[in-house]
Amino acid sequence: MDAVTRIQQIGMPRRNNELWTFFPVAKIPNVLSADGDCRVANAPRNDKQESLDFSKENDFAALLPLAKNARTMVKAIPEGANEMAMLKCNDDFGHTVLDIGKGAHVSLEILDNKVQHEIVAERFDISVGEGADVEIFFANPASALPLRFRHFRITQAANSTVRFSNILTDSGIGRISMDCDLNGEGASFDYRSLSILDNTASMHQRLTIRHNAPNTVSTQLARNLLSGSAYASYDGMVIVGEKCTKVNSGQLVNTILLSENASVSVKPVLKIYHDDVECTHGNTVGELDAEQMFYLVSRGIPKEAAKKMLMASFAKETFYPLPETPAKKRLLQTLSV
Amino acid sequence: MLSIKDLKASIEDGTQILKGINLEVKPGEVHAIMGPNGSGKSTLSKVIAGHPAYKVDGGSVELDGKNLLEMEINERANSGLFISTQYPTEIPGVNNVEFLKMALNSKRAYLGLPEIGDEEFKKFCEEKMQLLEMDERYRERGVNDGMSGGEKKRNEILQMAILDPKVSFLDETDSGLDIDALRIVANGINHIMSPEKAVILVTHYQRLLDYIKPTYVHVLRHGKIILSGGPELALKLEEQGYDWIEE
Repeated sequence: MDAVTRIQQIGMPRRNNELWTFFPVAKIPNVLSADGDCRVANAPRNDKQESLDFSKENDFAALLPLAKNARTMVKAIPEGANEMAMLKCNDDFGHTVLDIGKGAHVSLEILDNKVQHEIVAERFDISVGEGADVEIFFANPASALPLRFRHFRITQAANSTVRFSNILTDSGIGRISMDCDLNGEGASFDYRSLSILDNTASMHQRLTIRHNAPNTVSTQLARNLLSGSAYASYDGMVIVGEKCTKVNSGQLVNTILLSENASVSVKPVLKIYHDDVECTHGNTVGELDAEQMFYLVSRGIPKEAAKKMLMASFAKETFYPLPETPAKKRLLQTLSV
Repeated sequence: MLSIKDLKASIEDGTQILKGINLEVKPGEVHAIMGPNGSGKSTLSKVIAGHPAYKVDGGSVELDGKNLLEMEINERANSGLFISTQYPTEIPGVNNVEFLKMALNSKRAYLGLPEIGDEEFKKFCEEKMQLLEMDERYRERGVNDGMSGGEKKRNEILQMAILDPKVSFLDETDSGLDIDALRIVANGINHIMSPEKAVILVTHYQRLLDYIKPTYVHVLRHGKIILSGGPELALKLEEQGYDWIEE
């Protein structure tokens, strides 16, 4: 089933759909309207899309780039390769397929496309081979795009490692969605996200991590620094399958609200079908630590400078546990500016 | 130098902790404040520093004729006041050296002096670290992050050495220190001390006063200084406790 047909089946996102609970769905242009539908239906298909079956895809954002006839970029990284790459989409809608071979070491930075249209949507399908070590990251400058979707579908083979890290500073409405399948024993997935939002920015993250094999590990850390009337949401689901013993999964969301009108919604969902697992989730919301502020100011540092130091420390801590790789360097450099 | 007159302060629920503190500290003096737990010693240091958890109900605190209570917290520090609290706050993610440099440059800016550069600060900091026998690990760590009680206290004295305050109020700096660390910290304080400066030490034990000779010893109880004397008072307190003192 192609993406257009599937969108027509599931309809436009609504707040009563659990994938879109916190998202301002009214801001999404209706691609099923007469005009939108016409553009979608008449769009020529490209060959790569024809081979994909979307009958089980439920996330509108995952379907939209393909329904809008995104060009598909396919890249295979050979077994054992050591590769650093940058990905950049030149159109409003993009689709990237990455096939990472066994034992490869890959560092992948995703750059922003330069288009400034009403809506931008990208989809990444990433297959990670056995024992591969992959880092995917983006820390783009603040974008003024009104509406942006980025969807990732990651499947991991045994003993593979994926570290996914990002800094989100968009001033419009954004959504990162992620479906990660840990299919091989010993696979591990690490997600780290920092949202620094101001004014009316609205950033939403929706993750589903499926532990489909024993001894798999997933960690999620999302941190938000919210000013003005900014709004962030985090909807993270972890599913542990029936025969998946010794799974370890942790989810933590930390938010600092820097103004009275800033807000955050967090929804952890754990579906665990095995007893011998360790799964945790936590959520903290607060202001900057008053004792830490006092300590810095009591050493003569002006209040505004102390506030910036604490915000920077909160932000940088998100990425300190990462290994010393290009991703960590780039993310911390971005925060030092 | 530091003049505290009839200082009264309370906490949020209205309980008055300081009930009229009077203390005159002159240049070159070391004052030791002793007293039972809960008598208001730590509160005194925090009120002088401007901690927002306390409300000043009356009195004044002047440093060289300027009323500290009318100043912002950072201005008090930049005017020459240094407060070391009993439990130094941990700030993971804020690098210790960057913090020290920022604090020093804030003071220099307040005094109208140019910023100190990286190289000059590095040398300056190294010199002070050697004084306190601190190793390089302190540079890389977050402020007090993951440090033992003794390491934190040493880090506090490093800050004191770098900021070079006129008056230092050190709240139980000796707690958590082993014998060697106590000697090193006390030597550091003595080294920093000069005839133009003053130190107020809060302590429960004579052992710190064996290293840092006090000019005066005061007993603080129920929010008031109820007895003052010379160094011999500390020895008597060590022997007999506080029960013999009539308020």
